Amino acid sequence: MVSIRGFGHPALHTLAGAYVLDALDDADRARFERHVARCDSCLQEVRGLRETTALLGSAVAERPPERLRAQVLAAAARTRQQPLAGAADRRAGPGWPGNRVWRDLAGRRGWLPRVALATAAASLAIAVALAVVSVTTQHRLNGAEERNRQVAAVLTSRDAVLITAPVTTGGTATVVMSHASRMIVFSARGLRGLPSARSYELWLIGPEGTRPAGMLPPPTHGMTAPMVAAGVAAGDKVGVTVEPAQGSRQPTMPPVLMLPLPD
Amino acid sequence: MKGVRMGEWSEPGETRAGRPLDLGALLARVARGDEAAFETVYDGVAPSVFGLVRRVVRDPAQSEEVTQDVLLELWRTAYRFETAKGSAMTWVMTLAHRRAVDRVRSAQAAAAREARAATPEADPQDAAEAALDRIDKERVRRCLGALTELQREAVTLAYYSGYTYQQVAGLLGVALGTVKTRMRDGLIRLRDCMGVEW
Repeated sequence: MVSIRGFGHPALHTLAGAYVLDALDDADRARFERHVARCDSCLQEVRGLRETTALLGSAVAERPPERLRAQVLAAAARTRQQPLAGAADRRAGPGWPGNRVWRDLAGRRGWLPRVALATAAASLAIAVALAVVSVTTQHRLNGAEERNRQVAAVLTSRDAVLITAPVTTGGTATVVMSHASRMIVFSARGLRGLPSARSYELWLIGPEGTRPAGMLPPPTHGMTAPMVAAGVAAGDKVGVTVEPAQGSRQPTMPPVLMLPLPD
Repeated sequence: MKGVRMGEWSEPGETRAGRPLDLGALLARVARGDEAAFETVYDGVAPSVFGLVRRVVRDPAQSEEVTQDVLLELWRTAYRFETAKGSAMTWVMTLAHRRAVDRVRSAQAAAAREARAATPEADPQDAAEAALDRIDKERVRRCLGALTELQREAVTLAYYSGYTYQQVAGLLGVALGTVKTRMRDGLIRLRDCMGVEW
């Protein structure tokens, strides 16, 4: 069952216009952002088109009521800013504080059934770590925030279970699963590098079928940013295959990881 | 650091004193809690933000709310602006449009829940036409005028009225794929006509 349709379908590229016009629904927007994340020419196009829509916006400028100025300035004066430290950390990469925590988690070997991760200190550190995952455009930032919130929710859930397993072609995969929310967080480190036309794709594979769960982002310092997959069903395994960079709807290659999830 | 690149659209990008505004540099100061810089940012961007939000949201009171939300989001998250990713004004307008559309969509969702038979309260094409009438920036108007009718309607219904491309397709009675394509090639033509360099 070889199928090369999927995220790389040429039609996806044509969503660039609707995307910068904010005319996509959430699902399409997420799909397009995943596509743009690995398509430099798309990103260039999005930037140029965004500059264009901004001009459409400024063209209808209208002076707001004078009282709004005082209101906004007063509200700002009593509104806490998000700390600059967050920005510095976000850019620094290896130095940021939570990285070590996540690396420690990923570095553990073998099965660790029912390891509750949710001690207050660990949860906080992980949440901080994930809040600073690097992003580029503002929209991707918003998408990333949502994702980070989901990641933090899984990692801090009471029933979080941590599983690690070797990837057959090199590297280690780490899965944190929350049965209650039927979600997993997936990350890997030390994966073998791939040619630019290929990427690792994550799958949920089980009695309910084989469902694509997203493309692994390129690793930063050997580690892929955590990904969330929702809708985990009983009997599912987590699979990883090497696919064309835009992804496939069904695996086209044998898995490099096939990890059963605990029931 | 790249400043606001408004060129002949200098009005929204200027301070009250009329000097050009280096919005990127100001945002960096705002990120460090500089309230005076934030005042200057307000004066520089509020008309653009409010004008766009008003066009999309229409209701004046809600438009003020959304404008305030956008400005406060700038205040809280100014550090996120990275000059390398585009001009500061574009960042601001992207945020403003997103928030305006969020408001319209949540209002639509609320309305849809209560909906008896969905009767649009105004002809959406009238709204887009009205928006066009207000476009007083000659170049933008000229470039919009150079689009095909379908391109122009697709772009303006989405951008100024906040419709999804599926809604636009329904309103214009054309296929989804056609709308997607017209939005993209329409914007590309606008980009080239307005001399956006990327």
